[in-house]
Amino acid sequence: MGSEQTSLLQGTLDLLILKSLIAGEMHGLGISRRIQQISGGTFDVKPGSLFPALHRMEEEGWISAFWGDSENNRRAKYYRLTKPGRKQLEAETKRWGRISLAIAQALEAS
Amino acid sequence: MRLFVKARSFLRNLFRHRDVEADLDQELHSHLELLIAENIRAGMPPHEARRAARIELGGVEQVKEQVRDSRAGAFFDSLFQDLRFALRQLRRSPGFALTAILILALGIAANVIVFGVVQALVLRTLDVPHADQVMTLQPKHGGPFLSYPEVRDVRDANTAFSAVAAFEIQDFGLEANGVTRPVWGTEVSGQYFEAVGIKPFLGRLLGRADDDHPGASEAAVISWSAWKSDFGADPNIVGTTIRIDKHPYTIVGVTQEGFYGTEKIAQTDIFIPMANEASIDGFDWLTSRSYRNLFSIVRIKDGVTMPQVEAELNTITAAIARQYPKDEEGLALKLARPGLVGDFIGGPARGFLAGVMVLAGIVLLAACANLGSLFAARTADRAREIAIRLAIGSSRWRILRQVLTEAFVISIFGGACACMLAWTALTGLAGWHPPTRYPLKFYFALPQPSLILIAFLISTFAGILFGVMPLRQIFKTDPNESIKSGGSLSSAGRRWALRDVLLAAQIALCCVTVTAAFVSLRGLGKALTMDLGFNPKNALLTQFDLNQAGYKGGAAADHFQRQLLERVSQIPGVEVAGYANSTPLSGDAAVSAVFSQESSDFRSSNRAFEAYTYDASPGYLAAAGTPLLAGRDLSFADTPNTPRVAIVNQEFARQLFHSEQAVGRYFKNGDGVSIQIVGIIGDGKFFTLSEDPEPAAFFPISQQDNTSTALVVRTRRDTADMVAAIREVIRNLDSSVPIRELSPWNTQLGLSFFPIQVATVALGVFGAFGLLLSIAGTFGLASYTVSKRLRELSIRVALGAQAKQILSAALGRMLILLASGSAIGLLLGMAASRVLSAVVYQATAQDPFVLAAVALTLLLTGSLSVAGPVRRALYLDPATLLREQ
Repeated sequence: MGSEQTSLLQGTLDLLILKSLIAGEMHGLGISRRIQQISGGTFDVKPGSLFPALHRMEEEGWISAFWGDSENNRRAKYYRLTKPGRKQLEAETKRWGRISLAIAQALEAS
Repeated sequence: MRLFVKARSFLRNLFRHRDVEADLDQELHSHLELLIAENIRAGMPPHEARRAARIELGGVEQVKEQVRDSRAGAFFDSLFQDLRFALRQLRRSPGFALTAILILALGIAANVIVFGVVQALVLRTLDVPHADQVMTLQPKHGGPFLSYPEVRDVRDANTAFSAVAAFEIQDFGLEANGVTRPVWGTEVSGQYFEAVGIKPFLGRLLGRADDDHPGASEAAVISWSAWKSDFGADPNIVGTTIRIDKHPYTIVGVTQEGFYGTEKIAQTDIFIPMANEASIDGFDWLTSRSYRNLFSIVRIKDGVTMPQVEAELNTITAAIARQYPKDEEGLALKLARPGLVGDFIGGPARGFLAGVMVLAGIVLLAACANLGSLFAARTADRAREIAIRLAIGSSRWRILRQVLTEAFVISIFGGACACMLAWTALTGLAGWHPPTRYPLKFYFALPQPSLILIAFLISTFAGILFGVMPLRQIFKTDPNESIKSGGSLSSAGRRWALRDVLLAAQIALCCVTVTAAFVSLRGLGKALTMDLGFNPKNALLTQFDLNQAGYKGGAAADHFQRQLLERVSQIPGVEVAGYANSTPLSGDAAVSAVFSQESSDFRSSNRAFEAYTYDASPGYLAAAGTPLLAGRDLSFADTPNTPRVAIVNQEFARQLFHSEQAVGRYFKNGDGVSIQIVGIIGDGKFFTLSEDPEPAAFFPISQQDNTSTALVVRTRRDTADMVAAIREVIRNLDSSVPIRELSPWNTQLGLSFFPIQVATVALGVFGAFGLLLSIAGTFGLASYTVSKRLRELSIRVALGAQAKQILSAALGRMLILLASGSAIGLLLGMAASRVLSAVVYQATAQDPFVLAAVALTLLLTGSLSVAGPVRRALYLDPATLLREQ
């Protein structure tokens, strides 16, 4: 896990993957690029972190996988959000909101 | 729902491992392809695009491993992987695997077998309710027997016992369905089944009313196993009439399953009231204080403590001794655990079993030491593999787990083999009938789950302990160094390593078992060739009791016996024949007090000594091969109306007169009757083979009738013919005489040789185990040392070293280890074999024969086990070797 600039907090990767899948089904590389894009290049998720997370989340039932054809007609494994996944995203988003607010407050306090 | 999803993926990961792996592989491949495509789109040339993609993806295998770790059941998954790998590894080095499994199996099996026997004979209580309250009374001094009045007095005077009973194990002529056959039974007094506390399976058991007075009841109870096998499990058995020694009895009940009397090694089939003893035994002993023939069984009341019981026993016995000073002087009773004739057999048996248990422990220790050095050598051998695995990114924990799994697999296999071995041995023992007419039998409840559990626990513990010990090496491993230096973790044999110490220790331990085996083997050899005082070769022994055929002693029995002797003597091929009431070493020995001719006070404390006594016919001594040293043989002219005479042995004469010139002199028996000595015979063995010379006396059977008959026929003819001829003669005389034994005398002596044979077999097996272990250990370490130092040795050879120098370089230390281990072991063995003297005739390790045999065996096995490695070291070809490495 990690990038040149910022280490991902525990649990954040899941949130980012769920968030990126809101836009629709995607393969691993797509998810990786999407996270790069939505985080403004801050997070670069390496395969060594991405794939374990995807497989774990699939086992949790948050996402489901299927084989499909990519944009240039290559076979690729696609992931899509499931119903429990959406719920998990909502819950995680709320939690993250609380945490970031709390951290921000804590840092602003003097 | 979530649980369901998890469980599903867990199961999928576990059972559809291949599919899951293939899927992951495809996914990563397609990811690589996508990356390449992306790079090409970004304008890179194809090979550059491929390279960049690979860099971005990183190590495919590492990614896979990370994904695997994150999966549900990752632990089990890698455990299975480890197991598969371990099995593959073991298949690849079958030598190591088999040796390790064999070592474990031998070490553990030895222990489980011994523990099984100890559990059955010593630890397990009788299978009766509240068995901890059931004890047996026995005299503090002398034999294990009590007289009936003694048991009765304790029964009537005590407050500590809820029941006190006497019992006597007897052989009966049992007539059922028109067939008479000898069976073993128990005469029990009234409170026997109260003391035992069991329930009947059918009908009722014997009670106080059955034993009230002679002839009070003709009720008999049969054991469950006799009901099952001899009476066809007849549900209507109760009420059936049978005949015991010609007296009608009615079966009133069947004992519960698993009850076979209170002696663990003797199964009796039938129980009858003791009150009827006179009709069964032919004479009345219920009122005799000097006729001690009974065992006892008591049940202690709830809440009564041992000290209370003992205090009360002391009071009661003191009162008895005061009241009957002639017979009961010095009477003292103690409580003992029932089952093995109290402490009488129980004591020595427990001692011997404890000794054997120690040996078994030694074998296990040796096995562990062996296993330890084996694992250490193997870990050292695998240094290169471990280094490579560390280098390509395996974690040390993963390697450790792998090694542990391997150790575990070996322990499981070892434990399983041990269980099989032990199970076979114990089943064999349980079904085995010692060579005796007595109903000796071992009872092992099989299979014993506790034993199997213990085997696996020891096995796993030993395996894992010694599997992990060399791991220190793994954690110190620097992959770089290890690969460079050609795969040896420590340059073999520069300093004294753990495995050297282990080897020496193991050889010492094995040496102990070998010494013990030789000591007992030597003892057996001596026992087989020693002078018994009679010659059982070329002699047939026929045993029966006329009482069982309705002869009531006196003239009838005497008439039968004399007729028998006359007819048997006329059978062609019979050299000489004679009979007695019993023969030496037959297991039942009568002992009576001997007083000097001057005695007038016949209290037992005043006696000169006790002698084994036999009633014999003329010709018996000749038939038994006992030479008469002086005087005359017994004669039918010695009758109740002529003066009492006896033939005594030298020990008798020495003890009484301090001289062997005894013919014509007199002694007195316990009744104060003067008996003249008319002949002297040599010393012999009467009760056990390991006894010291004991006094013995033979009285003319014509002066005191005895229905118990042991006919000795000395013959040169074929045994089978002779057996048939004797049987024919007896049948013609009276077909209702149940013949207990009719076989060569040697065969019937089995019981006397039994303890020493058991000891020899047991110790021999441990000796063999020990030798096997030491061969495996020595060979393993020697060949390991040589193979580790091949390179160095080749250089030495190339530089012109001589064979002797090579040998001392390669194996010098091994020899030091062997020699010192053996020396220590021999000393330990000599100390340990003192323990054996209780069971084994003249057991001593100071015997030069034993010392030489042990030393020779160790030398032979030592050289045998290093021969292979020595050859390899001597004939190595430096050119080939140095090129290869």
